[in-house]
Amino acid sequence: METTSKDKRFTAELEKNIAQIKRELGDSVDLVKRNIFFVGNRKVPSVLFYIDGLASVEHVEKVIDAMMYEGNEFIKRNELMISDLQTLIEQHVLMNTSFSMIEEVEKALIAILSGDSILFVDGCEKAFHIQTKGWDTRSVDEPQTEQVVRGSRDGFTENIRTNTALVRRRIRDPELRLETMSVGLRTRTDINIAYINGVVKKGLVDEVKKRLNAIKIDGILESGYIEEMIADSPFSPFTTVMSTERPDKVASALLEGRVAIFVDNTPFVLVVPTYFWQFLQASDDYYMGFMAGSFFRIIRYIAFVISLTLTSIYVMLVSFHQEMIPTPLALTIASGREIVPFPVLLEALLMEITFELMREAGLRMPKPVGQAVSIVGSLVIGQAAVQAGIVSPFMVIVVAVTGISSFAIPNYSASYSIRLIRFPLLIASGSLGLLGFSVMFALLAIHALSIRSFGESYLAPATPFQPNDQKDTLIRFPWWAMKKRPQLADGDTIKLGAHQKPKPPNKVKNPLEMSKDNQEESGEKNSEQKDKSKDESRDTSDITGLRRWKKKSGSNKGEKRKE
Amino acid sequence: MKVQITNGMFMALIINMLYAKSIGMTQGIMAREVKGDIWLSTFFSTFQGLLLIALIVIVMRRIPEGDLIDQFHRILGKFPGKLVAISVFVFFVGAYGSIMATFVFHLKDYFLPEAPTILFVLAAFLIGVYAIHFGIEVVARMALIGVFSVIALNILLMLGSLSNFDIRELLPVFQSGFKETVWASRHHDTDYAMAAMMVCMILPLVRDKQTWIKSSTAGVFYGGMIIVMWPILETGVLTADVAAQYIVSCMQMARSAEIGLFIHRYEMIMIAFFALSILTQIIMTFLCSSIAVQKLLGLKDYRPVIIPVGLILSGSCYWLVKDHHRAMHFIEGPWVMLSIGTVVGLVSILCLAGLIFRKKWKTNYEVKQ
Repeated sequence: METTSKDKRFTAELEKNIAQIKRELGDSVDLVKRNIFFVGNRKVPSVLFYIDGLASVEHVEKVIDAMMYEGNEFIKRNELMISDLQTLIEQHVLMNTSFSMIEEVEKALIAILSGDSILFVDGCEKAFHIQTKGWDTRSVDEPQTEQVVRGSRDGFTENIRTNTALVRRRIRDPELRLETMSVGLRTRTDINIAYINGVVKKGLVDEVKKRLNAIKIDGILESGYIEEMIADSPFSPFTTVMSTERPDKVASALLEGRVAIFVDNTPFVLVVPTYFWQFLQASDDYYMGFMAGSFFRIIRYIAFVISLTLTSIYVMLVSFHQEMIPTPLALTIASGREIVPFPVLLEALLMEITFELMREAGLRMPKPVGQAVSIVGSLVIGQAAVQAGIVSPFMVIVVAVTGISSFAIPNYSASYSIRLIRFPLLIASGSLGLLGFSVMFALLAIHALSIRSFGESYLAPATPFQPNDQKDTLIRFPWWAMKKRPQLADGDTIKLGAHQKPKPPNKVKNPLEMSKDNQEESGEKNSEQKDKSKDESRDTSDITGLRRWKKKSGSNKGEKRKE
Repeated sequence: MKVQITNGMFMALIINMLYAKSIGMTQGIMAREVKGDIWLSTFFSTFQGLLLIALIVIVMRRIPEGDLIDQFHRILGKFPGKLVAISVFVFFVGAYGSIMATFVFHLKDYFLPEAPTILFVLAAFLIGVYAIHFGIEVVARMALIGVFSVIALNILLMLGSLSNFDIRELLPVFQSGFKETVWASRHHDTDYAMAAMMVCMILPLVRDKQTWIKSSTAGVFYGGMIIVMWPILETGVLTADVAAQYIVSCMQMARSAEIGLFIHRYEMIMIAFFALSILTQIIMTFLCSSIAVQKLLGLKDYRPVIIPVGLILSGSCYWLVKDHHRAMHFIEGPWVMLSIGTVVGLVSILCLAGLIFRKKWKTNYEVKQ
């Protein structure tokens, strides 16, 4: 039986080990082999393997330096015996680098291909796996697809460790766990699963791991691959796995009991499970005042309805149910359509497709040209099309409003889902009027109701109705009113201390009218009160205080369950 | 494990199962009999519906994990069980006819008069087949949204028509006589019969058995209260005479309501909000009749019979709704006897059989347990 690299192990003979690596990795130009002689007087031959461009030259030089000069000096100075080479190098030579010992060839190959270095020393049966990863990466930048007015400006990058660190910086909880695995037979892409132990729903992490482990594919080049492979409804136009570029969104999802999936080489992190309504929520909603946040959220809901239905309703009314349009408006529309030779459905399809074309062209072209295309497309072609009598001015307005509304949806993948389902709705409305519209809408609604995201109903908390979660669905309640985590979270469900609603201090008399004595007295009282309230706020604001408060109130779900 | 629905969803299903046809066609039919007393008739039938539902739950609680067909099967044996399955299927064929009459007459007469009837029947078939493929949970979730939409419709209609409301139109009460008013409630009882038969078929799927009575009676009560607004407004705004002249009197009501210049006709708003209720009725009829056929044929799952059942239902309803006179004659006459007779008859027989053969089914039940 042929042995694979998985079963192969290193030997004490350096030449055999070198040959093994060379055989497995071939003569790639970027594979660097550095010959080192360890300990001057005995000259033990050693070899360091790494991939040029993936390993940091600085780190590699440090290792070579330690092996050839610093280590030698140290050994000579301290008159150390060179009986056991491996222990000597482990304990006295590689002091400034992090490393581990490996004996399987497979592990060494993966390490080299991941940017680490492998050091073979003649006479050692094990190889030194030295951490030398260090390639050029894009610096942390503002997220391109999820812009906010108020909120952090840092977005995920292509480096998985930077991305996990961005989340770690936000949640300094020892219960935040990151588990690793690699997916992709050839790409061996690193994947990290993040969750907060004690908050995440029981069984969810196992389910995520199970689905990820089940992926058998040669390569993962972006988190989109994973998204498609783990989605509950593979044929659905709706996105059931949320992807985001924002670390604060991921942190907030983790605090709600969800699981985040980080994929190396992509700035898009996946969050599961996902509810449909999450796609209409932006980070700003939580950073602005709750009134402004709720207002903008409602605007987004309106944008969603407009984006999905406006063109269809317009086509349906103008083609089939003109009597439903108020007379003055009907006359305006009719006068605009007087010279248009096409039926309304065709006109709408023409405009919608043109709009999508302009959007796509604007996206693919270099930035300055893209803007020019948008301007030429929207203004010049729109105006010319109306003047030429190909489309009516009303249709231009309808399609433009629909397009703008679709851009108001904060998540790009949700926005294209809506754009996708808009077309069948439009065709059904244009061919069967109200019947077509209602049938297609009902089919879409039934489909949306039937799908799940990691076991959770996609349209929750609207249906199934979860009263507690309504505080953060259509409108956002103030932070001090959202005491509990969403229904999804398990175990530690309380997130807020008692009496968090802010209020001004107790009213005192006008200080100007008070006598000096009174002022002193009330000053003392005030300082006492301040100290007291400080103590109280400290008691509930820090994490231990919150836990203490929870223990006291005994309202923890987990505790209740135990009882 | 069987799919289960929450008690809230169960209530929502009852409300939706009652709403669409009750406001759509029943009010017009009753107005032709008792004129301005339709709202009183609606109250009477709500009361009768409450009693019927309560009786059903009490009777079915004896063997809580079995639907009506299973209960007959266990108490009286295999053959009576099959007979009941046939009766339930026939009942839902009739129910589908009356529901489709509501659906088709709303859309065809008011929006698409030139569209062929078969189009509406096919649309309902498509939705029904697609929805029940996913099971009752999805339909129940849809019904939950349906409740919000019917409440929204009621509020909108009230806002648009209260300015024209004249309470004097409701007077004198019992203008057609007390007996006649009570008798006219039989038309609305057919709607309660549909809801009751649905309860007979899905009650075992409702999660919390302890609150079955509470949720089912609450569903009927809320449903009744949501519906009763329509006859009151129809009498006070349209007048009973006008309501009596229309097959779908609620659409006439919606047409006469307006808020300002730009919300001047409510028909489309009405259809938008009322759609979920009528679709729930269509889907639940498909589901219950499929379950009946599944039990009749002794199958493990109802899914293989969805399409044949759908075709039978669609074929019969097409024949019925193609002719307005035929449909109205059926709904006003034979359907009343068939629906109320089937539900009351089956539940009474089950109740009596349960008492007579108490020992037999109790022993069987205990052995099974």
